[in-house]
Amino acid sequence: MDKPRVAIFDFACCEGCQLQIVNLEEELLDVLSLVQPVEWREAISDQSDTYDIAIVEGSITRPGDEEKLRQIRSRAKVLVALGACATMGGVNKLKNNFTMEDVRREVYGKDGSMPHLDTAPTKALDEVVKVDLKIHGCPINNKEFAYILRCLALGKTPAIPNYPVCVECKMRGNVCRYEYNEICLGPVTRAGCDAKCPSAGFWCFGCRGYVDDPNVQAAREVMEHYGKTMEDLKGRLLLFNSKQEATENVK
Amino acid sequence: MSIKKIGPAALERWVDGLIGRQTVIGVQAKGDKFAFAPLAKTSALRLDYDVAVTAPKAFLQPPCETLLRFNPKGYESVVDEQPFVLFGVHPYDAAAILQMDVVFAEGQADIHYLKRRAQATLVVSDVQQPSANVFAGCMNTAVLEQGGDVMLTRIGDAYLVESRSDKGAALVKSLAGEPDAAPADLQLRKKTWDDNRKRLRRHELKVKPGDLPALLARSYDHPVWEEKSKRCFSCGSCNLVCPTCYCFNVRDDVRWDLQSGERVRTWDGCMLAEFALVAGGHNFRKKKPERYRHRYLRKGQYLFEQHRQIACVGCGRCIGACVTKIANPVEIYNRLAEGPR
Repeated sequence: MDKPRVAIFDFACCEGCQLQIVNLEEELLDVLSLVQPVEWREAISDQSDTYDIAIVEGSITRPGDEEKLRQIRSRAKVLVALGACATMGGVNKLKNNFTMEDVRREVYGKDGSMPHLDTAPTKALDEVVKVDLKIHGCPINNKEFAYILRCLALGKTPAIPNYPVCVECKMRGNVCRYEYNEICLGPVTRAGCDAKCPSAGFWCFGCRGYVDDPNVQAAREVMEHYGKTMEDLKGRLLLFNSKQEATENVK
Repeated sequence: MSIKKIGPAALERWVDGLIGRQTVIGVQAKGDKFAFAPLAKTSALRLDYDVAVTAPKAFLQPPCETLLRFNPKGYESVVDEQPFVLFGVHPYDAAAILQMDVVFAEGQADIHYLKRRAQATLVVSDVQQPSANVFAGCMNTAVLEQGGDVMLTRIGDAYLVESRSDKGAALVKSLAGEPDAAPADLQLRKKTWDDNRKRLRRHELKVKPGDLPALLARSYDHPVWEEKSKRCFSCGSCNLVCPTCYCFNVRDDVRWDLQSGERVRTWDGCMLAEFALVAGGHNFRKKKPERYRHRYLRKGQYLFEQHRQIACVGCGRCIGACVTKIANPVEIYNRLAEGPR
């Protein structure tokens, strides 16, 4: 059987998730045993319009991006959103808290109104096209990427955690950040990162997005217990989860 | 077997000697908390700890472990048979381990747990500093009168060392030349035990542990489940810090050849949204109140029906671990005891 042809594309992002794939290093040869990359700007010079799987990172932030993404979708049998910018808009959605005029002026000053700097509110990929699979995180966990790739090669549905980061934090024996009166987004954030940030002494920033049924209401109710305010909570949520439904419900 | 009395210098000689011969997992400082970890020297041992962040069960049922490796020709079980010492286990955690021993041995015996357990020597240490939420005194687990391999009790600057098994006797062999505890020392130990039964009650349970199964059985439709679970994150923290929670998930992961690989088991918890999700997509405890109720009924009723043991040892970890403060078993049990409202 021919190996599936894979193309990797990027929209508005830092391309760090592609870099995580490159960072598989010695395992890259194993990746090549399963798939045939035909376009991947960060790693190869080939380009192709014929592929089975499109792996797309980045957010849709300019009107022209939407058409390009639709074209990718029409060519691919499977479309995978790679990383927070693609799966939910991520930090790019911070922009959506302002008017586009303010955004352009803030970034480009008096040149902000020039036509080539046209910009639109950020969209995650699934706000434009159908997405078959999301690989979460900022950046993605490349071990999870590798696992997902093997599952797809076997025709098996990968097990993507739908439980909060707290699970992995407890498994690593971490002391809860709330014990130090810090707001941590772990209790509402999808695990799969191996609780990297809390294990390094930080709170969870929420980069993998919300679990399917986040209890943000509960988070609101305990802020006072930890000497915090609703604004403190909202401030944390906005970084990766701006304009997400659960974030909007924090009032 | 005689009970020895050893001073700080003899303790250090003894434990350093053990470290030289085998792996010693001892309780140590972790920031301003405490945790069990491989011990490099006796001076790092903190027998004056209040509670370990993670229950020592983690060294018997690790958070993540490989059960077997497979390839197209067959499979082979993976069992860990390295001897080790768990040093400084509090009585309530030891009581929990004794419960796990029953659970993993019944039915299809779990060789991964049992073989590891057989290699473990349990050094139990009486509580010197009660933690903020401990209520072991209410659960009859503040003191471990029997069980474990070695029992340590601090008396002034010295420790009483009691060997309680063949494994324990082997471990304390080098203490043969130390003096035996005098009757007065044993009196002091008894006083420590009596004190701990009274001291380890940061929350006061108003019902007897033995009454919990019947209390829970008649509280199935109590409003407290709905009320409290509104603030539940379904994060499983109360499960994962619990020394008597042993539920696990099993997953196969293949290597790049897509033919060989390993079967891995990880901790799981009944408070997680997909814990009771089965093939076909049905989740038989889909709602938060159902899961929240299940945890209490499992601990105080269902497991009692199976093993005649209350699966709560009063360590109080769940109380501290719950971010929204809904996981205090004493609060719930007392509330249920007030009646159906």
